[in-house]
Amino acid sequence: MKVFTFILSLVLTAPAIASDENPAKTLLHDMATAVHTRNFDASFVVVKGQAMEPYRWLHAKQGDIELEHLSLLNGAGLEMVRVDDQVTYFEPHSEPYSVKTDSIAGPIPEVLFKDIDRLSAHYDFVLGGKGRIAGRSAQLVRIESKDEYKYNYWIWLDTESSLLLKSAYVNHKGEMLEQLQLTHISVTEQPAPMLVEMQNREFPAVLSTNDIASDSDGAANDWKIGWLPDGFKLLKSDRHKLDLNNELADYYLYSDGFVEVSVFIQRPLPGKRASGALSSGATTVYVHNGGSFDVSVVGNIPAMTAKAIAESVARPL
Amino acid sequence: MTKADVNKLDNEQLSALLDGEQQLTDQAITNDDVSTFGRYAMIGDVMRAEANNNAFNFDIADAVAEALEQEPVYADFANKTTAPKSEEIVAATGTDNVVAFNWRRPFAQVAIAASVAMFAIVGVQTLPQNTEAPQNDIPTLQTVPLTGMASPVSYSSEQPALENAQQGLRELQQQRIGALVLEHQRQARVAYSLEESQTADNAEEEKN
Repeated sequence: MKVFTFILSLVLTAPAIASDENPAKTLLHDMATAVHTRNFDASFVVVKGQAMEPYRWLHAKQGDIELEHLSLLNGAGLEMVRVDDQVTYFEPHSEPYSVKTDSIAGPIPEVLFKDIDRLSAHYDFVLGGKGRIAGRSAQLVRIESKDEYKYNYWIWLDTESSLLLKSAYVNHKGEMLEQLQLTHISVTEQPAPMLVEMQNREFPAVLSTNDIASDSDGAANDWKIGWLPDGFKLLKSDRHKLDLNNELADYYLYSDGFVEVSVFIQRPLPGKRASGALSSGATTVYVHNGGSFDVSVVGNIPAMTAKAIAESVARPL
Repeated sequence: MTKADVNKLDNEQLSALLDGEQQLTDQAITNDDVSTFGRYAMIGDVMRAEANNNAFNFDIADAVAEALEQEPVYADFANKTTAPKSEEIVAATGTDNVVAFNWRRPFAQVAIAASVAMFAIVGVQTLPQNTEAPQNDIPTLQTVPLTGMASPVSYSSEQPALENAQQGLRELQQQRIGALVLEHQRQARVAYSLEESQTADNAEEEKN
C-alpha cells in the first residue's frame, strides 16, 4: 500500500514540476501582473547607507488604461507619471519630458515589471525563505548574478496579493547595500480619484527614439571600451553637454537588461587627481584618471566592476 | 558742526526716546528717520527679549518677498510650453486651460535635484601611487547626504596648504560627479525604449 501511495504521489507531482520549472520566476511573473492590474496606494522608503528617500506610489487600472504615479517626497522632489505606455518625468530645474515605455524607471528595476525571462542567461532565480514584511506574510525571491561583477537583487513578495513588499541590492558577502521597504499599502476596488483626474491632463509629447538616440552634439569619439561584464550591450553612444555643469562628454550607455551602466569620457580636470570610487547605496561612481582624459563609470554595480570598466577604456586607434 | 555729528546727535535723542528717557516731542518725531526708528526699536526688542526670554519679532518677510521677486523661475511649467509639439497642441485648441504641465509640482522651484545632493563628497582619499595595489583595495570617497549638516572635512594636518589648493578642485570634481549621476539617471530612463527599438531593428534585419 505504501509503495502504491509513493508511486501515485510521483505520478501526481511529476507534471506539476514539469510545467512549473521555476517557482521563483512564477512568483515574479505574478508580481508583474499584480503591479500592472491592481488598484493600490503604497508608501515606501529607499535606504541608501545613511540616506533615506521616501516615495509614494499609486497605481490604478481604469478600463484598459493603466495610471501610475510615483513621487519622491523629500527635498526638491521628483514626480513620475504614467498614463498607459507614456511616462512623464517632472524634475526640478528642468522641463518635463515623456518617454514611451510601459513602466516607470524609478527605484525599482524596470525589468521586474516586464519580461524577466531575458535575464535568465546571466542571473539565477532562487526561492528564499518566508518572513513577515510590512505586517504581511512574505516570500523571498533572490535574483542572483551568475558572476561576481554585478549585485544580487532580493525581493520579498506578498504571499496573498503577489505585490512587492521589500527589495534590496545585496553584494556577494550578503550585505544589503540599498533597501526598499514598503511602509504601507492599501489595495482598493476603486482607482484613486487623483489618478482618474490624471487621465484628463495633457503631458508633453513623447520623445521619439531618434530624439533619444541623438540628443547630442555629434558622435562620440571612437573610444575603445575594452571590458564589460558578460551580457552588457551598447544602447547608445554620443557626445553631449551635461546638464548641470555644461561639460562636454563622450557618452556610452550599456545595459544587461537589469542594470544600466554609463561611461563618460571627459577632458581632465586640472591638477593632480586621484582615481577613486564613490558610492551611495548600490550606485557607484568610479572616476578614473586616464592621463589625458578622465573616465567616469556610473551604475548600480560593485566598485570593482566600475574600476575595471573605467580602466579598460583606451584612446581610439 | 559737520553733518555726521548732527546725525549722531539725533540718534542719541532717538535712543533715549525709545528707552523712555526722553519725552516725545513733535520735533523729535519729524527728525526721526523711519528706518532708523525701526532699527532702534529692534535693538531694544532684542535686549528686552533676552531679559524676559521671549523671542522678538524679526520681520524679514518683506525682504524675502522682494528677493523672491528677483529670483529666476526654474520650472514654471504653467506659463511656458516645453516641447514644440505641445506648443502645437496649445495653438490648435486655442484655450489656455488645456495644457498644465505643472501637475502636482509645487516644489519644482527648489534649486537642486535631491538625487545629486546624495553624492556630496566629504573627503577625498588619495590613492596610493603604486598601481600594483591589491585589486580589492579601492579607495572609496566617502559620501554624506546633504540632509542635515555635513560633518566638517577632517584635513590631514601635515599639508594644510595643499589641501587648501585642492579645495577648488574638489568643488569642480563634486560638480562633475553630481552632473554625471543626474545624467546617468536620465539616460537609464530611456534604456528600455532604446532596447526595444534595437530588438525591433534586429528582428527586421533578420526578416530581410
